[in-house]
Amino acid sequence: MFRSLLVLLFLSMITQQVFGHPVIYKDGFVISSANMASFSDNQVMYSWSNRWATGLNHWRFSKDDQHTEYSLLKVNHLLYRYNGESSQGNIYLHGGIGHVDSEIETRDQKLASMAGIDVDWETRTLYLAAKYYHFNSSKVSNLGLTQVRVGFSPYESGFDQLQSWFMLQIMQLPRLDKSLMITPMVRFFYKNVLWEMGASTRGEWMLNLMVHY
Amino acid sequence: MKKQLGLLSMISLLFLSLPLAAKEISVKVSGMVCSMCAQGIHKKFSKLSEVKDIKVDLDTKLVVIETKDDLNVSDEKIKELITDSGYAVTSIDRK
Repeated sequence: MFRSLLVLLFLSMITQQVFGHPVIYKDGFVISSANMASFSDNQVMYSWSNRWATGLNHWRFSKDDQHTEYSLLKVNHLLYRYNGESSQGNIYLHGGIGHVDSEIETRDQKLASMAGIDVDWETRTLYLAAKYYHFNSSKVSNLGLTQVRVGFSPYESGFDQLQSWFMLQIMQLPRLDKSLMITPMVRFFYKNVLWEMGASTRGEWMLNLMVHY
Repeated sequence: MKKQLGLLSMISLLFLSLPLAAKEISVKVSGMVCSMCAQGIHKKFSKLSEVKDIKVDLDTKLVVIETKDDLNVSDEKIKELITDSGYAVTSIDRK
């Protein structure tokens, strides 16, 4: 048990996530990884029901080679799901508590928390998603992350086939940079593995990976 | 009479010696638009000892469960596993 927890902790430190699937099927694990120069998001979550998931989450926000890092124990909740005949919509809530370590404002470690909301709607060829995450700490200025995604797939893939998506991600991190970060990207998934690649209009590369098991 | 009984016994033995046909259960599921997310359905049903094979079809929105000989999966169990996977059952059809 302790060994498993160590493995999970280790995985949470090497993976990053900011791209959906906060709660999956009951007893399912999600390991995900999202990484750009200006931020990264590591997450390992265990869905103990089809509505709730708990796990470890590590965020890094970077500016001029200085970092603010949040390490959190996180809970995700599927507040609402619409299961249509050919579409699905979701509203997720996020909450986390842990500590922050910042080089950007003041070198200090302090209790931190985060809260967020995630909304998405998808068909087999269309994808729309929006999210807002708020990071709070008494020592480090509050940080908000807003992200919108629009995507389409040129074909409907079968259950065991590769699915391809073209997406546009628009993100804003006002405390780090006032301007919008626009990232055209491609998304693929095959069976239980998803990967995304893109480059922002500022020239930042993005590489994301997610595995369900 | 003895001849007829003998023939009847032979026919009965013949039927008994044939393997029972596997049952097929077609479950219509709503919300099934993402193949990666629907992997959970496959995973959950594959774990059942009663299940011989499972097919997920995103075009028809059907989950087709083939059970092992003389075994069955109840409607309640099917609904439970589909719900645990994050989807909703629209109908269950048994053949």
